[in-house]
Amino acid sequence: MHKGSVVAALLCLVLAVSSACCGEVTIKDDLGREVKINSPSERVVFMMENALKTYYAVGDPQNIVALKDDKWMRKLLEDIFPVIDPDFEKKLTVSVTGGSVDLESLAKANPDLVVLWATTPDDANIKAIEETLGVPVFAIFVRSIDDVIHQVDTMGVISDRMERAAEVKGIMHDYMNITTNVTSSIPESERPKVYWMWTDVLGTAGVKSGINDLIELAGGVNVMKFSENETAMMMEHPVVNLEMLIKLNPDVIYMWYNENLDPEDILTGEDFKGWKDINAVKNGRVYEIRNPYLFDAFSPRMPLALLHVAMDLHPDRFKDVDMNKTIDDFHVEMWGVHYPSMEKA
Amino acid sequence: MVLSLLIGKFAIAPGDVIRLVIFNLLAAETSYPGVYHTVIFEVRLPRIFLGMLVGASLSVAGAAFQGIFRNPLVSPYILGLSSGAAFGAALALAVAPQFPVQISALFFSLVAVGFAYYIATSRGSTPIISLLLAGVIVSAVFDSLLSIIQMAVNERALQSIVYWLMGSLAAASWSKIYSALPMSLLGCAVIFLLRWRLNVLAMGDEEARSVGMNPELYKAVFVVAASLAASSVVSVVGIIGFVGLVIPHMIRMIFGPDHTHLIPLCITFGAAFMVLVDVIARVGMGFEVPVGVITTLIGAPFFAYLLRSTRSGGWE
Repeated sequence: MHKGSVVAALLCLVLAVSSACCGEVTIKDDLGREVKINSPSERVVFMMENALKTYYAVGDPQNIVALKDDKWMRKLLEDIFPVIDPDFEKKLTVSVTGGSVDLESLAKANPDLVVLWATTPDDANIKAIEETLGVPVFAIFVRSIDDVIHQVDTMGVISDRMERAAEVKGIMHDYMNITTNVTSSIPESERPKVYWMWTDVLGTAGVKSGINDLIELAGGVNVMKFSENETAMMMEHPVVNLEMLIKLNPDVIYMWYNENLDPEDILTGEDFKGWKDINAVKNGRVYEIRNPYLFDAFSPRMPLALLHVAMDLHPDRFKDVDMNKTIDDFHVEMWGVHYPSMEKA
Repeated sequence: MVLSLLIGKFAIAPGDVIRLVIFNLLAAETSYPGVYHTVIFEVRLPRIFLGMLVGASLSVAGAAFQGIFRNPLVSPYILGLSSGAAFGAALALAVAPQFPVQISALFFSLVAVGFAYYIATSRGSTPIISLLLAGVIVSAVFDSLLSIIQMAVNERALQSIVYWLMGSLAAASWSKIYSALPMSLLGCAVIFLLRWRLNVLAMGDEEARSVGMNPELYKAVFVVAASLAASSVVSVVGIIGFVGLVIPHMIRMIFGPDHTHLIPLCITFGAAFMVLVDVIARVGMGFEVPVGVITTLIGAPFFAYLLRSTRSGGWE
């Protein structure tokens, strides 16, 4: 776990509490920028879906006034959002064209806070929104599992519901423990080497990434840890070469959800004959995140993603876990909704 | 090619590679680990052959288009082929995953070229300037359609589209070679067999008619053949720039503008250049570099040198 993230979380809370008496608080966003916001913020616009899930677990749905006009997010209409928030489908939408937020549609929502994904404080959208509309922007930049948990604190401050945020973190830890209570005692020799396959097939997760944390907590070892090339190892999203992958010889290949490819293609496809001597392929150990919405590692559903991966890595150790019941219980505790029936608990 | 077969991230001694190839040709049993066989025959060789096919096809298509258009700035993508292919690939990757990316890219690349040719043709004549402008328009239309897809899709699908657009030989396999080979061979063979007629077309339509040649017919034949050759490889590896523009230039600067020599030299030199560039792309750094980046970084300085040391880039 990253000590830096814990320190950042504490600093964030200290800053928040120090001025909480006035309704306006100063918090540090994920890029280390100090942002003055109202606590609670009552007209929040979410330009990313992962943080929205976190907010719905903690805050008041009525305080969300607009969402990013995103097909990925719209697809989630079939998910829990409309059950938690009856007005979900009526929310205003803000379009993003060529990576730039449409300031007019954003202004129409009259927000008092915008939450968006950014990787640098110089992000053009942050500057445009803050300088043109004078609206504070909270930048989200998730690089580790700790960052996912820290996001709950952030939403607690934004919604002025720190107690509920503490509860949500507790739920996340409890469900993570279902996995880590088992995997923490697995000796190094029994931890499979895992190659994480993003949608670009030869693109993977470096050792300094949230997926690396997920693999380790699930009882595996990121195969990139054994790369002889330190540059590739340390990159967030290195693109490897097939010969390099054969040399690394992972025991398991874990695919992020891929609309164009299935594990069966890797195991028997004509285009993947060069993969046949990799242990994972020889032993039929190629798995896929089957539902990217449900098993989203960068949202409060991270404990479910963790369990999903761990069950594939160590099926014998988790044979007594009822995944469907775990998913349902988790959703009831987190959002008060049964899954997959989508009935209010 | 031999050098490329000996080099890779998976260390196999050169002597072992050569012995394995010989044993394989003789169908003899070997005691080498099976993974050696896989690396040489399922990873390196398909990649080398695909690189050769891509380099040869794009270079020949580029030379043919430059001859038809009598313009040194023309590449195989001038009639919207790359824009059509990019749109087709994006459509399959992000909107309709039930369609294979390769087939969608191939279909739309040919649709784009066909559409450009249709727009430019008027009263049985296809003026070069009209064809050039039609290509610009069709490219713009497909680029806009691609932008709409890119704006509408999620980040993950966008990532796949961008990766495809960069062009790469990293996913080479025998099945991809088999699928691209027939059309590529057909296109290259037609250009090769009719290559002397490019010399006549390059002089202009009037001159072609004066020697009894039907310029419209041969323009159409060369456009179809060059488009088939280029689209077949682009649909498999994505958009690899620079090769189709610069290799014909380089050959022209060194050996002169005669297409009877230019076309066969483009086949051999284009294939060799692509294989060489791919060696650098796959072993030059710790991670895979898009081959299009290397083609530009290696080709541009050499091209600049030739440009400075020859008159008018070999067109005179």
